[in-house]
Amino acid sequence: MDPGQAAVSMQDESDGKAAAVVLGRALSEPDRFAYAGLCGICLSQLFPEKEQRSFCTKFVEDLVDWLDLSKSVLPAMVAFASGLGGEGTDTFTKLLLEDPALKSNPTVVTQDLVSFSLRDGFYDSRSRVLISHVSWLLRVPPGTLEICEESLMQSLKQHTEEPSESVQASRKKKESRKKLKRYLLIGLATVGGGTVIGLTGGLAAPLVAAGAATIIGSAGAAALASTAGIAIMASLFGAAGAGLTGYKMKKRVGAIEEFEFLPLTGGRQLHISIAITGWLSTGKYGSFVAPWQSLLHSSEQYCLAWESKYLMELGNTLDTLLNGLMNVVAQEALKFTILSGIVTALTWPASLITVASVIDNPWGVCLSRSAEVGKHLAHILLSRQQGRRPVTLIGFSLGARVIYFCLQELAQESGSEGIIEDVVLLGAPVEGDADRWEPLTRVVAGRIVNGYCRGDWLLSFVYRSSSAKLNVAGLQPVLLKDRRMVNMDLSSVVKGHLDYMKQMDTLLKAVGIKTKECRLGEQSGLLYQPPVIAAQQESKLVANDSVDTGPDSSWDWEPVTTGRDSHTVEQINCCSVKGCAGNETGQRCRNCANNNDCPFGELGGASQ
Amino acid sequence: MEEDILTTLKILIIGESGVGKSSLLLRFTDDTFDPELAATIGVDFKVKTISVDGNKAKLAIWDTAGQERFRTLTPSYYRGAQGVILVYDVTRRDTFTRLDNWLNELETYCTRNDIVKMLVGNKIDKENREVDRNEGLKFARKHSMLFIEASAKTRDGVQCAFEELVEKIIQTPGLWESETNNRGVRLSNEDGGGRGGSCSGYCSVL
Repeated sequence: MDPGQAAVSMQDESDGKAAAVVLGRALSEPDRFAYAGLCGICLSQLFPEKEQRSFCTKFVEDLVDWLDLSKSVLPAMVAFASGLGGEGTDTFTKLLLEDPALKSNPTVVTQDLVSFSLRDGFYDSRSRVLISHVSWLLRVPPGTLEICEESLMQSLKQHTEEPSESVQASRKKKESRKKLKRYLLIGLATVGGGTVIGLTGGLAAPLVAAGAATIIGSAGAAALASTAGIAIMASLFGAAGAGLTGYKMKKRVGAIEEFEFLPLTGGRQLHISIAITGWLSTGKYGSFVAPWQSLLHSSEQYCLAWESKYLMELGNTLDTLLNGLMNVVAQEALKFTILSGIVTALTWPASLITVASVIDNPWGVCLSRSAEVGKHLAHILLSRQQGRRPVTLIGFSLGARVIYFCLQELAQESGSEGIIEDVVLLGAPVEGDADRWEPLTRVVAGRIVNGYCRGDWLLSFVYRSSSAKLNVAGLQPVLLKDRRMVNMDLSSVVKGHLDYMKQMDTLLKAVGIKTKECRLGEQSGLLYQPPVIAAQQESKLVANDSVDTGPDSSWDWEPVTTGRDSHTVEQINCCSVKGCAGNETGQRCRNCANNNDCPFGELGGASQ
Repeated sequence: MEEDILTTLKILIIGESGVGKSSLLLRFTDDTFDPELAATIGVDFKVKTISVDGNKAKLAIWDTAGQERFRTLTPSYYRGAQGVILVYDVTRRDTFTRLDNWLNELETYCTRNDIVKMLVGNKIDKENREVDRNEGLKFARKHSMLFIEASAKTRDGVQCAFEELVEKIIQTPGLWESETNNRGVRLSNEDGGGRGGSCSGYCSVL
């Protein structure tokens, strides 16, 4: 389809929401200049490093083109992006907020930047960090970025469902090439079903923000939704369609015996999260996905299953050690000794030393394996198995170590910038020297969160004989001077190393990772609840009283059950009862932000 | 090369639309002249290293748009500037009378009060002069600015304008030292009197 035609038809569809077609035409020239200048200055503030310079320059150059600005502004824009001038963002922000087209709805800038960033099917994590920053400056409500991404994806999908024959042919060609490449790259991934999914860019349509596309001027997408649309989609989501879950190790890679991605939530989104578990234990936390039940940082999330045999062994040892061999009093004493900060003077109790071999062996095995797994993960991310979209990595204990080594490996490779958005390392058993962490800043666009606990005697103990014992990231802040580095003292929540698994829900909230509860809070606090969605919900509620429909279907994905993973979340939807208090297993209602004050009590009232 | 550079200075060029700000800059940086130069959009940016009294200074020059519609953008450029070049057209009296507005704006947005100002009367090659040299000189003296008349077309006074400005900035203590973070203070050229003879005909340091 001709792009112009597409734009016209989109205009019709979106009911005269043409204001957002291409922001470049809606804004006056000075405001477009301010818009590009604002992005340039933000880029220089966010990514002042030399290695990022080419990205920043290319970004502003393309943006000038996208906004239909004269080429003569390029020197100034490039100067902004390289941090010259140092004017700050105030004037540009103020100017943009005064623009008649943006005054009432600065969201269009976010929307426009998303369209711009996706135009060639490559969603760089740095672009996403920039968009969040610019949106924040323009006081766009948080969460808008995700809605914009969602709506863009939806409208792209509309246009890509019926690709012409020529497109199909060229895609097939590309696909076979990709397939070949995949085989060459790892030589062990399965591509089953890849072709079928590949045709829709891997979009198994979830009921996501169905109305959103029409609400916030999805027309911006029209510019992209030409015949190029399908290529964009395929690129973003990984052309072979099989994606991360399709990645299976058929044989051992190096020393790794097990490496597999398990879906946590089965949505489709323009950014994904990968959670990495630190150990396995019997009972409630017997599976890799178990600690991550409340995680909802993106609607498409995976959990890395790795070396379960060894992690299970380690978990059992930890249990034995903490529940049997060491008594509670001794543990408390240890905790306080470490908290007091005199680690050097610490003499480990004889009772602990005698059983040291119990822990040292499985711990040592897992240490070396986690490093290997991390490196392997890095190469999978580099080969873009996940598609060309930003990835957030979250892990605790040895899982954090996997992430650390993944980032170290990425930092050694070229072209590894722009893949990782945020990383969260909780109780990481890795060295905490700022020098060692410095290379990580090159590959992480957003934040590097180090969550530590000063009283984690176990971590301190396993490092007792190592030279790094005074400098473990999981025990203290990493003193790296970079805007990305965020250190968080979690001592008040984490009483011991095992708490990282048990308190995951609280920890995630503490470090600013979105959980199911946050999503709901965001929903109720959304400043501009789109009227259409609200209307739809009402009608839904009226139509079927008995069915519990959460107010936000977009965040209501069913947890995915996989064959090897027996642990699933129970479906608790008790919102029809006002003031629901969760259930006896301690799991809270998925729709409730808290026990006492059910935010959807009103909804419940309506359905009663 | 980088080692020799004493400091990086931020210079701003302001003035009414069409007085020849971009032409002055183009003459200074590229030594060319384009009679059909298009109006500047937003702001233009150029870098040039010049040597004044044996000191190398890197100039980051921001050439602002004179057009009214871009006026709202200008406040952001004033911040941190060490020198400003205020341009008027000697053949258009209105551009001279509006200088007061520009000085007001400078006063409002400029972050430092010791900024070095230079007044440039452009287009002296043209026949139909409306503003006399003495008028310009008087205005400049009143507002304690440097003054020069120039022509971007004939090259007259352009180089001198920038050199003069930079020299004055370097001579002003506290204006640029803070900008050089790692280099020690080098104030060896305090006398600074030995100016090139070619310039003295035009410049009058006030």
